[in-house]
Amino acid sequence: MMKLLIIGGVAAGTKAAARARREYPDAEVTIVTQDDYVAYAGCGLPYFVGGEITEARELIVRTPDEFKHENRIDVLTRHQATSIDAAAHTVTVRDLNSSTDTIFPYDKLIIATGALPLIPNIPGANLKRISTVRGLNDALKIRAMLDSGKINNAVVVGGGFIGLEMAENLSRRGVKVTVVELKDAILPGFDPEIAVLVAKQLREHDVVVYTGEALTEIVGNAAGEAVEAVTTARRLPADMVIFAAGIRPNTAVAVAAGITTDRGMIIVDEYLHTNLPDIFAVGDCASVRNRQTGADTFSPLGSTANKTGRLVVANLFEDTEKFSGVLGTTIVRLFDYHAGRTGLSTQEAKDAGYDVETVLVPTPDRAHYFPGNRMIITKLIADRATHKLLGAQVAGTGVVDKPIDTLSVGIAMGMTIEQLSGMDLAYTPPFASALNSSIVAANVMLNKLAGKVRGISPVDLKLDDPTLQLLDVRTEPEYIISAIPGAINIPIEELHPRLGELDAACPTVVVCKVGRRAYAAALELTRAGFTDVKILDGGMTAWPYETE
Amino acid sequence: MAEYTLNCRGMQCPGPIMKLFTQMKTAQPGDVVTIVVTDLGFRTDIEAWCRKTKNTLVSLEEKDGVITAVVRKGE
Repeated sequence: MMKLLIIGGVAAGTKAAARARREYPDAEVTIVTQDDYVAYAGCGLPYFVGGEITEARELIVRTPDEFKHENRIDVLTRHQATSIDAAAHTVTVRDLNSSTDTIFPYDKLIIATGALPLIPNIPGANLKRISTVRGLNDALKIRAMLDSGKINNAVVVGGGFIGLEMAENLSRRGVKVTVVELKDAILPGFDPEIAVLVAKQLREHDVVVYTGEALTEIVGNAAGEAVEAVTTARRLPADMVIFAAGIRPNTAVAVAAGITTDRGMIIVDEYLHTNLPDIFAVGDCASVRNRQTGADTFSPLGSTANKTGRLVVANLFEDTEKFSGVLGTTIVRLFDYHAGRTGLSTQEAKDAGYDVETVLVPTPDRAHYFPGNRMIITKLIADRATHKLLGAQVAGTGVVDKPIDTLSVGIAMGMTIEQLSGMDLAYTPPFASALNSSIVAANVMLNKLAGKVRGISPVDLKLDDPTLQLLDVRTEPEYIISAIPGAINIPIEELHPRLGELDAACPTVVVCKVGRRAYAAALELTRAGFTDVKILDGGMTAWPYETE
Repeated sequence: MAEYTLNCRGMQCPGPIMKLFTQMKTAQPGDVVTIVVTDLGFRTDIEAWCRKTKNTLVSLEEKDGVITAVVRKGE
């Protein structure tokens, strides 16, 4: 009878336990975890804080009692694995209530210890009303603080998914939120055009975002509660501070046992073995292979944890199921705005040595005449040499998960832009446009790859360049509503007779609402002898900066 | 004072705002134009347009993906 011991009981650990019970009805399956709770939906914590999920129990997939009685799985909460003896096949476990140690023998050991939040090493980090967002305990603590009615201003440290989701949910609870991000942009892994658009959306929902600033101190009151956060640039009122500045794999026990780690992650092969016999690692504590680059990466996501937790059970005795790796596919909802990514970012593609072409294409998410249609912006990243799709990012108030998933499958299968353009995708007006948003983006990419048009990203447009001729070819009322500072308005219908107003020798950037009219105008300008013509990628729709 | 209704359902930007722009050119100050639009981007467009012109946005409603805006021509 196999003794299977699992350290860690959130997503990966409990998934492994449940499948092990199904596959090995006679095995003795035990989960030890230092947490108070097991099998909770960690990714749902921000929504519990915001109140969209009303009770903590809704996040708990299964309790220790249910594991015991329905699955014959022993779950020991508040039990910390303190050491692993790989040669003897034992783990020493401390009961955190009684401080007594017990030695657990195992035949197979699965490490699913997850990740720990990074706590900035700054003065005031130990004050009250400061929290991470990692476990259910954190979320309960934050909800209690909000329910006290004393929280008017919160500072969220970190502009990744968790930080921004917390910003949204604190804001939903009526708190004035400021996000402080150390890097120059929020949303790591996204291209700057998309990150800046998301930041703009957050500001429109009264969430203040400061990038390129570090938190240096938290100031407390006489009761030892946080009241002010100090950054490298300013002082912010802060009745609450949320640390969401990243996580690191929780590997102390593994490292002490001689398990190989790299950049903090337990290194596993595609069958999820560590370097030691009969010891496996899954979930956030372990590395995952990037499908495109082959590199071992840190990709701490609930989707990956569930997959690896389930898969590892097939490999306990022989290697039968391979983990195919990740593309870094992620998605976030912030208020009514959505953003998803898959594959390589533009920078990652360049770093990997590709000759990169990109497009930024706004389209409605379904038929433009169908009530309820919403705008989405599709960014595609392709290899000029092979025309292969390398990466994609989609953002907007419309549906973005569908295109991101389609594009993710395409990247995984090595799809070219030509193949994407020819995809047979579901269409009827309430769901999609006759020319699907991803296909429109592919067609724009084909025009660029064929050299028919050159584009410039909004983040690369230098408005202070005195030689720049920024030509807005939209109608007069559109131009009145909002225009890029310094743009000259010549509606496309009037362009031909008014060509004399422009200087054919100046670098010219053409802008319209989405890019269609700009493309036509750019072709006309080129025919007329203009030598340096580009269109503004994404048009006014994807323009993330100030307008007048 | 005249009242006009513009049915711009199914039109994409800039269709609705061009229709309104053209109507406003012929309308007299105080005239009221009601415009019905399914392009949800029109919501922010009409607010900005009224702010930047002398016209008044009397009301702006959205129901089931359809926007109804009422605009009064300024002096």
